[in-house]
Amino acid sequence: MTRIACLVVPGAGEQTQQLLLELALAHSPSVEDGGPGIVYLDLRGLEGLFGGEKEIARRLLDAMIERGLAGRIGVAGSRAGSRFAARSGDGITIIPSDQDARRLGPAPLALLDLDPRMIARFSRWGIRTLGELADLPARGLAERLGDEGAWLQRLARGEDTTPLRLWTPLPVFEESAECSWGVETLEPLADLAAGLAEILCARLSRHGCSADAFEWSCRLADRTMHEGGCAPAAPLSDPDAAAALVRSSLAAHPPRTAVEEITLRARPVRVATTQPRFDEPPRPSPRQLTATLARLSALVDARGIGSPVILDTHRPDTHQMAPFTLLPSPLRGEGRVRGGPTVRGGPNVKGGPTIRGGPTVSGSVLAMRRLRPPRPVEVALAGGIPAHLRAAGLTGRIVAGAGPWRISGDWWTDAPFARDEWDVELADGTLCRLAREGRGWRLEAIYD
Amino acid sequence: MAISIESLPPPGWDGEGLDGLLAAFLPGRLSEIFGPRSSGGGSLLLALLSRATARGGLVALVDAADSLDPVTAARAGLDLRALLWVRCGGRPASAWNAVDLLARCTGFAAIALDLGSAGSTAPPALGTRLQRAAEGSGAAVIVRTPRHLLGGAAALVVSVRRVRTRWIGADGPTRLGGLVSEARVLRSRADPRLATPERAWVIEWRA
Repeated sequence: MTRIACLVVPGAGEQTQQLLLELALAHSPSVEDGGPGIVYLDLRGLEGLFGGEKEIARRLLDAMIERGLAGRIGVAGSRAGSRFAARSGDGITIIPSDQDARRLGPAPLALLDLDPRMIARFSRWGIRTLGELADLPARGLAERLGDEGAWLQRLARGEDTTPLRLWTPLPVFEESAECSWGVETLEPLADLAAGLAEILCARLSRHGCSADAFEWSCRLADRTMHEGGCAPAAPLSDPDAAAALVRSSLAAHPPRTAVEEITLRARPVRVATTQPRFDEPPRPSPRQLTATLARLSALVDARGIGSPVILDTHRPDTHQMAPFTLLPSPLRGEGRVRGGPTVRGGPNVKGGPTIRGGPTVSGSVLAMRRLRPPRPVEVALAGGIPAHLRAAGLTGRIVAGAGPWRISGDWWTDAPFARDEWDVELADGTLCRLAREGRGWRLEAIYD
Repeated sequence: MAISIESLPPPGWDGEGLDGLLAAFLPGRLSEIFGPRSSGGGSLLLALLSRATARGGLVALVDAADSLDPVTAARAGLDLRALLWVRCGGRPASAWNAVDLLARCTGFAAIALDLGSAGSTAPPALGTRLQRAAEGSGAAVIVRTPRHLLGGAAALVVSVRRVRTRWIGADGPTRLGGLVSEARVLRSRADPRLATPERAWVIEWRA
């Protein structure tokens, strides 16, 4: 008879989840990662080692408290039952054998982690609890929802026959090379690191894993450590690409003195292989993209390569660079996995047309070319309105303008801003954005 | 079984309008957009990149003058997470090398080089190299310059010029409304009919 314990730690992060999984694995060989803050373990066969269910649960709870994890434990005959038990009580809650169906009755449907489509369908039927789902006629449910309906009903009745998806800890991927004579130049050090990267990639491939980050540390001749790291655009296990990436990372942050030992660590991830769809645009291979980005970072400042992320502020020209990563195609409907808050106007490429003299249809956005840093300019005023502009490479009479538009913000921080902005048109047709802060004028951007 | 006909354009597609102009920038070809500052060339480039990301593609922008405004780009519909932005900090030589490198990486829908308002001289024979790289990678490679630079290497050459500025306000301008610009195809190897003197696209870019 299956008996499953569920460990729940609300709001668990990645590190806490890892800790929870290791704790569970120390008690049972059958452990499943149930998502953030949830771990299941199979209690069958543990009586001889730890005693009855109560003793095992107590032992698990003590171990959690020892590690500073404030969590709860539920024990039942199914995953859904044990999770419900863990959520419904404080500390330890045990549902006796064969009582899952009765105790699960009032539990909400959300316990089954249904997809929104299925939740909406059950909601239309007036089904909100597991008990209501369990009471539906099995044949009618199967006719309407197929195998999935029957399976969900079994779960609602506490009949969980699917075995746990076993979680096993990933091995540590770390390689070191000692060079007691001390490597003083970058080239042999990069060769050494590239060799380590190739060994690591071979090990990763044997375990069916890829690396989504590499970290290196050098023990220097003056007994200090020099550390750095790099992340490919997509997880990879290709030795050449990894070697190129580590080389460029070392070249970007070279050690200041001779290196006596270098250690390279790879952070392993398991990447599911997916078949590209015919109707989605091609994407760069991780190997080629990583090699290209590594070579690009040798050409330009590596901090200037990435994807822009707009920050949640009204301060003009405020953004940060995030590493460029290969994301799932939006056509797959998987959504994006990473990204900060962005301003979206929606795809808006349809616009105006046409033959000269015909009607003009609006619809496209005027681009702004920022000057970084903004260029100081001399502005002559006439009646308080900008009349003439003089700057290096841009001088002219102002023929039209709109402003001032006052913007201010962040007054609650140490770096408040307040400025007057003007959009002006020069006699040669150049459209500019000017800003006035205090007495000084600056050329912020040119429209194009 | 119903088969979706992907070859049909989406509803609302305006073949004679900006959509038609954007469709002239073909994958696997080198294209050039040239025109002075405030002529609408930058807006046309943003529209191209936005269209590529709206279709699920990845795009790269080599920004010689480090002048992209991400807020405007997002307003134009560009999915910033699908954008690889290479900021060259005002070094055009690095920008040419970067676009040469990126054009050889397969999997990008579009790769753009924005040389800024100062412009630059293309390294010798780089236009031909870029055209061949574009053919190999299948990406649309677009160069935005203030003046015509690529000679005969570009398969599509589009010139843009400012027509007028639109200001909003009843009693004098109170706000910039937009810019009306005109685009002309000077050369199109794929469709020479686009490059007729009487054909022009008048586009209004809204501020």
